[in-house]
Amino acid sequence: MKLTEDDIYRSSTQYRNWSFTPAQLTAQRLKTNQQASERVKAAVARQRAQRARQSQLDSANTSESERNEVVCLTPEEELKLVDTFCDVAQKLGDFCNYPAEITATCIQFVRRFYLFNSPMTYEGQNITRTAMFIANKAESHFLDVEVFSSQCGKNSTAEKILAPEYLIIQALRYNLDVKHPFRALKGGHLELVELARGNLATLPNASQTATELQNEMLQLPRKAGGPAVKMTGPELEKRLGEAYGFAAYILKTAALLTDSYFLYTPSQIWLAAHLLADEPVTLFYLSTKIPPSHPTYSKLVTTIRACATLISSHRSYRSDRSSAEEKDIRDQQAREEIKALVKKLRQCRDPDKVDLVKLNQAQKRDAVHEGGLEENKAKRRKLQREGYEKEADGFWGPDIAKNGGGK
Amino acid sequence: MSKTATRAGATSKDDICPVCKSSRYLNPNMKFLVNPECYHKMCESCVDRIFSHGPAPCPIAGCKRTLRKARFRRQTFEDLKVEREVDIRRKVAKLFDKEQDDFETLRDYNDYLETVETTLWNLILKIDLEATNRRIGLWQQHLTEESNSTQRTQVEDPSLLTDKSHVILKKGGTQRKNVAGIKQDLLTGVGDEPETGFVFRGLKKRVAPEPEKPYDPYNGWSIEPQYYVVQDDYNVDWITHPKHDPAFTVGGYDVRDLYSRALCDAFGGLGVFIEDEKAPQPSVGAATALPVVDGGGGGGQDVNMDDIF
Repeated sequence: MKLTEDDIYRSSTQYRNWSFTPAQLTAQRLKTNQQASERVKAAVARQRAQRARQSQLDSANTSESERNEVVCLTPEEELKLVDTFCDVAQKLGDFCNYPAEITATCIQFVRRFYLFNSPMTYEGQNITRTAMFIANKAESHFLDVEVFSSQCGKNSTAEKILAPEYLIIQALRYNLDVKHPFRALKGGHLELVELARGNLATLPNASQTATELQNEMLQLPRKAGGPAVKMTGPELEKRLGEAYGFAAYILKTAALLTDSYFLYTPSQIWLAAHLLADEPVTLFYLSTKIPPSHPTYSKLVTTIRACATLISSHRSYRSDRSSAEEKDIRDQQAREEIKALVKKLRQCRDPDKVDLVKLNQAQKRDAVHEGGLEENKAKRRKLQREGYEKEADGFWGPDIAKNGGGK
Repeated sequence: MSKTATRAGATSKDDICPVCKSSRYLNPNMKFLVNPECYHKMCESCVDRIFSHGPAPCPIAGCKRTLRKARFRRQTFEDLKVEREVDIRRKVAKLFDKEQDDFETLRDYNDYLETVETTLWNLILKIDLEATNRRIGLWQQHLTEESNSTQRTQVEDPSLLTDKSHVILKKGGTQRKNVAGIKQDLLTGVGDEPETGFVFRGLKKRVAPEPEKPYDPYNGWSIEPQYYVVQDDYNVDWITHPKHDPAFTVGGYDVRDLYSRALCDAFGGLGVFIEDEKAPQPSVGAATALPVVDGGGGGGQDVNMDDIF
């Protein structure tokens, strides 16, 4: 009974619940969008009907704008908004100086959340902050919610952070483990350096010795398709170090902000990032693992190239390779676009879900239900509990109840 | 209640202690005790008086058995014969504890029961007492040897021991066995009894329980990486620095965990092609004609989950 590393990955929740083919991903986003739109339209219609009843009593006219049908966001627009939320999350992580894993986990939480929920239903700002709070806990970086909320901005309170917490956890299907390619990249770098030094333990079925591989590696061309060069050992190690740095940067930015986590495995993602950083070395390294004649090899290279294309298509990747002017123009455009989207979003928010704090309160013990009796009861209970708490805070603690423990 | 009543009735009949001749009339709290050695009755104060200073012979005339105070007890049954029979049966039942499952046929089991019952009655009625006792003694010895031998086979191969038994001095069990063997040789030389005291036909062979295997938390599963070999050591300072850092090492951190974990991460899922594996599996006939229409439910099975708000 043997398990390969692939089997181990197959047992993860990331593979079982959060990996999709592109078609599935699009279909799911469309479905989420449709469901959310229906809900928004129904909720708005209900609200208008209520208001119309009231205005009949007041004998006032309904305004023209209210008769219009609500214009909902399209799936593409939703995706753009989600990308914006992810950008915001990244900035928040940078601002708070969190380790890369935490920010990365938070971004994946947001992306996973909005795969089954729409920005029209739940507002991005709150969700992002709460996701960051959950990500901190999921990555064993515990912090006080008060401290965190004070870092998040002026209008943020602990209550607002905590309100959607359960909602998010549930939407994540309690899968709090996100498999990142960061440690994987380190593992790959370890092997590459040993390979460059000519003392990497070879695979059992390898045809070449470590020294042969080292010699071959020293002659790898600088660029794909370039002429073969003769490198010294230190030069090669420096080249690997640079490749590592660039790949790590890509993993922390562009790779996170695209759908790569949904479509590819962490192993393929780090190889794609490394491919973008140094193509000849990455391909050579792959060929030492799987012989190029093997059918899996070509398939794997195709997959990794596709992943690299996806990553490199992201704005943050492109902006690094263009001049400052172009970048400014593009950023300006993006900002305008987002502004318009946010404006549109304001028109089609689900009115039922605007105040998450209140909704969360309604779930709790002291929730005030309709009907006077219930209200009285809740109030009395609340007063009672406050009394107990006050007593418990006293120096000698609460009085010991007589007749076997209170009422 | 009824039990105490009968006992009271029994004592009231012969309420004079045969040793000190004191009667219940003088001492209403008098209790009679017996010793399973000879089953002679005497009162509690006599037992205290005679046996407090250690073992002493039975004070009843004609009985010279040595009795100990600790063995004295109140009789359970009114009839002392019954009391004695129960005691004997209890002792013998400990030695002959075979069940029907231990025998190959019912006939063999019945034969066994008959042998045991005959032995019992020999003891109870004191027929051929000496020979019976000796056979029981041999049988007891045989039983202890048998249980010892099962313990030993778990440790080492007994066949190796018997070959060299003359050369090497053995530990406990083996030595005892050799001595016992010699003794049995002597005994079998004297009489025509079997050397184990009793021989029962049709006994199933005892199978020693299999020695327990060491606990395997992975239940036989192991991880066999196909894309990498973990080396004992790597030298990339900024990644492998924990191996020289006392802050890590004093806590028992093994840097090899880092290597194996990083490499498992690096190649876990390398050969997993999500596009192939996650694609909805077309059912055999119909789906081949249809293009992929419903991709929505493919990943998350429970898409329409309850909204808590």
